[in-house]
Amino acid sequence: MTLFSVTSCIQDEAPNAECDIVSVDTTQTWFRNNKDILTGELKVNNNEVIFKVKKGVDFNAIEINHDSIISSFFLTPGARIEIYNGNDTEKKGIKIDNNGIHLWYTVYAEDGVWSKDYDVMFIKMPVLDIDHVFSFENFETDKFTNWYEINKDGLRSDIWSNGNAGYKMVAGNKPASEYPTATYDKGFSGDCVKLTTCSTGTLGSMTKMPIAAGSIFIGEFDDKNAMKDKEKATHFGLQIIPEGCRPVALKGYYRYTPGETFTDKNKQPVEGMRDECSIYAVLFEIDPNNFIPLNGSNITSSDRIVLMADLKNGGEPEDWTEFNIPFEPMNGKEFDYEKLANNEYVITIVASSSKNGAFFEGAVGSTLLIDELKIEWEKE
Amino acid sequence: MKKIFTILLATIFAFNAQAQISDTDKNLIDATNKGWQFRLGAGYLLGGTAPLPIPVEIRGIEGFNPGLNISIEGSIQKNICDSDFGVQLGLRFDTKGMTTDANTKNYYMVMKADEAELSGSWTGKVKTHVSNTYVSVPVLATYSIGKRWTVSAGAYWSYLLKGTFNGEAYDGYLREGDPTGPKTEVTSAQYDFSDDLRNNYWGIQAGGEYKIYSHLAAFVNLQWGMSGIFPEDYTCIPFALKPIYATFGFNYIF
Repeated sequence: MTLFSVTSCIQDEAPNAECDIVSVDTTQTWFRNNKDILTGELKVNNNEVIFKVKKGVDFNAIEINHDSIISSFFLTPGARIEIYNGNDTEKKGIKIDNNGIHLWYTVYAEDGVWSKDYDVMFIKMPVLDIDHVFSFENFETDKFTNWYEINKDGLRSDIWSNGNAGYKMVAGNKPASEYPTATYDKGFSGDCVKLTTCSTGTLGSMTKMPIAAGSIFIGEFDDKNAMKDKEKATHFGLQIIPEGCRPVALKGYYRYTPGETFTDKNKQPVEGMRDECSIYAVLFEIDPNNFIPLNGSNITSSDRIVLMADLKNGGEPEDWTEFNIPFEPMNGKEFDYEKLANNEYVITIVASSSKNGAFFEGAVGSTLLIDELKIEWEKE
Repeated sequence: MKKIFTILLATIFAFNAQAQISDTDKNLIDATNKGWQFRLGAGYLLGGTAPLPIPVEIRGIEGFNPGLNISIEGSIQKNICDSDFGVQLGLRFDTKGMTTDANTKNYYMVMKADEAELSGSWTGKVKTHVSNTYVSVPVLATYSIGKRWTVSAGAYWSYLLKGTFNGEAYDGYLREGDPTGPKTEVTSAQYDFSDDLRNNYWGIQAGGEYKIYSHLAAFVNLQWGMSGIFPEDYTCIPFALKPIYATFGFNYIF
């Protein structure tokens, strides 16, 4: 009776206030027509839709038909989408720069109050230069830091991701330097990356994620799922292997100090356990027409792995220490140059201040510094 | 809470035991003759701690468990100048609790913990468990209708003895800031705002009593909280939650 009377007090639903491009409908004509020129992971985030264009494809080959592009987007129920019509000249028309094409659209919510501009982009991810060194001197800091690489043609590629976007939820007003993944000016040479295992405080405990290990990797971080399924929020690997090259070794410099108290996933101290860092690189197979990256749950165990270089027993070097780890064949697979030419291989480098940080095991305070990473390649 | 019941029960027994003594009997009869009435009652509370009207952000209530909420009250009543009108002053211990499972959409909230603050719109499910034990002082006006009926209305003031307010936000997502902010999917986040409950509130109540026998009466009353259970500037929950409970029970009239 009480329940009934309470339920009958529920007001009519308000018009939807959200205005998202939720996803891309891959069954629509536009998508099907352009499928062959696209590659990699299709990414839809809060303000962007990112299509990656295959190597060698001319941007002019992309069919820019607003109506048909728009029709391939799934929107929040009740929302509508239009070509950007505001006053920002940066967002007007079709913008082409070194990295790709940008189209701007505005999504209006059903309630007529909220709206959001989307940058729909077609970008090419340049492959790595054969002598490229990841020296971590190129970064941008807003609430936290993100790193990018510049190749010898001056093209920028945002290949690095980290878990900072997840930590942001619990960080309050902490400066970027106190995030788990931060830049640090006392590198082996210039700036380096500083990875620190941090406590996530009360808010983190509420979601049963008591620690956040510092991490950096080549791939994409799915912010949306950072608190839901952290392991699966890390999408490892990009199609950036230099043409006709096989990786031979992963080199670089590191320093590591483990935190004092190792804790389990419930943040209970575990006697006798000492935290360890992890640094490794993995080359694995991908279906270029159906890009499914490896994630935190299978990056070291998947049967798609072809080669892996893993710094085992990294120890606790106080000073900058060089490492040079060979790529070893995995799963009985042999590197195939033809597969590489067909875009069927991706590579990632992963570093973390707590080896089992993805499972929330580690020691708060564990600090890993890495600098001047390099993949040694062998030409076909 | 258990302790309070034990003390109260002990008091009742002590009272009854003393009632055997003729002096006390005499005093009671004297008091009754002068228009005083003493009551001791026990009841069951049914209701909810809810925002009213239910805000548009709450899309549905999927589960409701009233819980076992007991009230024990002693009171004195006096009719004024032999009229049917009277006043009643009481002392009540009761627990106002419930567990609900609600569906929400764009429910704006701010969570503060340590130095971190998380604010945004939550769309998803929210489970809430409330169990607050109060000591209350009701001050009521009474009106007797015939020999059996007495109706009453007035106000009460409550002091929180022990409060629990916790639950879980689950199967949903939080949008940072406003409905256009970045989305974060959440499987489950536990919350506990017990320490933030305010320690007193007031409300109004109205009810009626029916005398079944000369010493036994059945009663029902409705207590309607006028202030929310959290401080007015509390931001974790964007609307005032007011306790609204009906009590059903029996009074022993001395």
